[in-house]
Amino acid sequence: MTSSSQVYPSKHRRWSRRTQHNFVIGLIFISPWILGFLAFTLYPMIASFYYSFTEYHVKQPLVWIGVQNYTNLIKDKLFWVSLANTLYMVLIGVPLSLIASFVSALLLNLKVKGQAYYRVIYFLPSIVPTVASTMLWIWILNPSSGILNSLLNIIGINGPNWFRDPLWAKPALIILGLWGIGGTIVIYLSGLQDVPLSLVEAAELDGANWWQRLTNITIPLISPITLFNLITGVIGMFQYFSQAYVFSTAVTTTGTAIGAPLNSTLFYTVYLYQAGFSFLKMGYASALAWILFLIILGSTILLLRTSERWTYYSG
Amino acid sequence: MVIRRLFPVLCAVMLLSILASCTPAATTSVAPGPTSTPVTQGPSGGEAQKVLRVWITWGDNPAQIQSLFNKFGDANNVKVEVTAPVEDDKVIAALTGSEPPDILVLGGPDNVGSWKQEGLVTELDDLIQSSGIDLKDIYEAPLNQCKYSGKLYCLPWGTDVYALFWNKDLYEEAGLDPEKPPMTMEELATFADKLTKKDDNGNITQVGFIPDFSWSHDDLYVRNYGGFWYSEDGTKVTLSSQPMIDMYKWQQQFYTKYGADQVLKFTSALGGYMSPDQGFYAGKIAMMVDGEWQVGPNFIKKFKPELNYGVAPFPPPSDHPERKNTAVVAGTVALIPAGAKDKGASMKLLAWMMSPEIVAEEMYANFNLPTSKKAAQDPRFLENEKFKIFMDLMSNSNATTVILTPINSQVNDQIGQIDEQVLHTGADPLPLCQEADQKLQPELEKVQNK
Repeated sequence: MTSSSQVYPSKHRRWSRRTQHNFVIGLIFISPWILGFLAFTLYPMIASFYYSFTEYHVKQPLVWIGVQNYTNLIKDKLFWVSLANTLYMVLIGVPLSLIASFVSALLLNLKVKGQAYYRVIYFLPSIVPTVASTMLWIWILNPSSGILNSLLNIIGINGPNWFRDPLWAKPALIILGLWGIGGTIVIYLSGLQDVPLSLVEAAELDGANWWQRLTNITIPLISPITLFNLITGVIGMFQYFSQAYVFSTAVTTTGTAIGAPLNSTLFYTVYLYQAGFSFLKMGYASALAWILFLIILGSTILLLRTSERWTYYSG
Repeated sequence: MVIRRLFPVLCAVMLLSILASCTPAATTSVAPGPTSTPVTQGPSGGEAQKVLRVWITWGDNPAQIQSLFNKFGDANNVKVEVTAPVEDDKVIAALTGSEPPDILVLGGPDNVGSWKQEGLVTELDDLIQSSGIDLKDIYEAPLNQCKYSGKLYCLPWGTDVYALFWNKDLYEEAGLDPEKPPMTMEELATFADKLTKKDDNGNITQVGFIPDFSWSHDDLYVRNYGGFWYSEDGTKVTLSSQPMIDMYKWQQQFYTKYGADQVLKFTSALGGYMSPDQGFYAGKIAMMVDGEWQVGPNFIKKFKPELNYGVAPFPPPSDHPERKNTAVVAGTVALIPAGAKDKGASMKLLAWMMSPEIVAEEMYANFNLPTSKKAAQDPRFLENEKFKIFMDLMSNSNATTVILTPINSQVNDQIGQIDEQVLHTGADPLPLCQEADQKLQPELEKVQNK
C-alpha cells in the first residue's frame, strides 16, 4: 500500500485509489478556470488561427484562401511601417524605462526622511488609467500652449511639434510612458532589499566606491529582476495600443486619425485593430495577430537564452 | 465514511447547479454604452414597453432631438431612446454585433457603401413601398447619396451645404472691404495673405485661411476645379486627375507660404469645434469653410453671438466663372442596420422621420437644409437671410453631390493620408495620387464584379 503522505504518483507506479481520488477532487476545484481557459483563451486562439487562412468579413460567409493573408502581409507596406514603429518603442522605450525605474528605485531606497511619501508619489502615476493619463499628457504636450514647450522656451529651446511632427510623436509617447513606471520601480525596490548588506559593507571596507559597488554587487544581484522586467516590458511594448490610439485620435485635425501624424504612431496592434475593426478584414487581422505572437515568442526565447551570461541567481 | 465517498459526487452536483443557474448573458455586442447617457423622457406608466433605439453620430443638441422623438413615442406607445453623439468605433462594433440600434443616423453617406458591401445595412426599397414614404418629395441630389446599383440603402434626413464665412472686423483691420468677400479662389489666397499676422518671434498669431479647418473640404474644392476623385459613373478611381492635383496645389499654398510647421503649431492651440475658443469664433482664423448649421441656434449664436461675420458662396477659380455657386450637397442619412430586431417598427419610425412636418421641424431646430420639398416651403426657412444663402446653394443649377462607391472607407482613408502629406509636409501630390490610384482601382473593380 502506498504511504498516506504520498499524494502525487511516481512515474512508474499505477495510481492508488487515494491518489486518483485526490486528482479528481483537484480537477473539480480548478474546473472553473479550465472552462474559462478553454472558452476565452484556447478557443479564440484556435479560431483566430483558422480565420487567418480565410477571408472573414464578419457578416459575410467565410472564404478559405490558404496562406494568401500571410503573403499579402509581406507585401503590405503598412505592415512593415507598423513593425518598424513598434520596434522603435521596444528598442528605445523599454531600455529607457528600465534605466529610469532602476535609478528611481536606487534613489527611493536611500534612507531619507519621508522615504515612504516619496515612494507613494512615484508610484501613483502608474495607477492612473491609461486613457486619462494620455489625455492629461496631450494637454501637457500641446506644442503651442502646453507646459512642456513653455518650460523648454524658458531655457531657450524651441520645443518641437509633439503632435504633428512624425519625428517627435514617438518620443512624446515614450515620455508619456516614462511617467507610469511606478510598477517597475516597486519590483526593483523589492529586489534591492534582497542585496545582502554584508556584501556591500565588505566591499566598502575593501575600498570600493559607490560606482564599483553598484556595478559589481547591486546590478549583478538584481539581474534576475532586470530580466523579468525586460521580458515583461518587451512583451508589453510589442502590444502597445491604448496610449497610441487615444493620442492619435485626439491630436488629429485633418487626414486620418489612426497612426497620425503620417503613420508615425501606427503601431502593430493599432494597425491590427484598424484592419479588423475599421475595415472588417478579420482574416487579415488574425494573420497579423499570429505573426505578432511568433515575433514575441521568438524575442522572449532569444532574451532567455542570451540572459544566462549576465544573470546571476543567488542561493 | 459515506460522506467521504460521496464527496466528489456532491462537489460535482454543486458545480453543475451553479453552472445551470448561470443563464448565458444576453448576447450583447462588444459595444459598451455610448458616451452620452440616453436622455429618456418616455411616456409614463404602462408595462414592458417596446423600446426603439436611435443612434446619431453627431450631437448638436441631443435634448432637442430626444424631445422630437418623444412625439413619435407618445403617439405610438413606444419608448424611443436617442443616443447622441456616438463615436464611429462603437457604430461599427454595434453593426457587426447582435444588438445594433433600430435606426442609425450618420453625419454623412460615406460609409454606407462599404457597410452595405459587408452586409450590415438593410436594403430599403421593399420596406419603403409599404411604408407610405413619398420618394418624390425628397430632393434628388441628397437621395442619390443613398443609391447603390439603383437600390436605396438609406434615406437623407436633412442635408448640408458649405459656404465661405469671413470675419468682418478682421477684414476691416486688414484694410479689406468687410462687405466684399473674395470672388475667386485666387483672390481668396490674396486676401488670406493680408489677413495673416506673425509676431516678432515668427510665430503666427492670426491666419487668413486654413483649407482643412475644421475638417477636410476636398470635395468642395475639387468640384470647383471641375472634377472628383471618382469618375462620374463611379467606376474609376481618379485621384491623379488634373482637378485633384490643382485642388491639392491650391490648398498646399496656405501651409507652405507661412511654413507648415508654424501653421500646425498654431492650429494645435485652437479650441474645440463646439466651444467659444473655436478658431474662427475666437478671431484667430479670418475665413473658414463651414456648413449651414453654423448660422443656426446651436453654434455661433450659442458660443460667440457677438461675432461680426458674413457668409457667401465659396468662389470658383478665376478661369471658370461659370462654376459660380458650385456646392456639394451631402449630409445626414438614416439607415436600418441589417441586424435590427424589428425592421417593420424601424421602418415605421423612419417613415415618420421622413414626413414633411417632422423634417421641417427638425431642420428648423438644428438649421439643416430640409430634404423634403414640402418641408422646404415652410416660410421659417427664409427668415434668416444667412440661411437663405445655403437654401439657394442647395437648389441652384450648379449644385452637385459626392460620388460614392462600396470602397469609400478605404478611399477616404487614403485621401486623408495624402491630405496630410501634401499639406503638412509640402509633398508633391502627383506621385502620391498615382500610387493610390494603382492601389485602389483593382479594389474597386473587385467589388464591382461581385
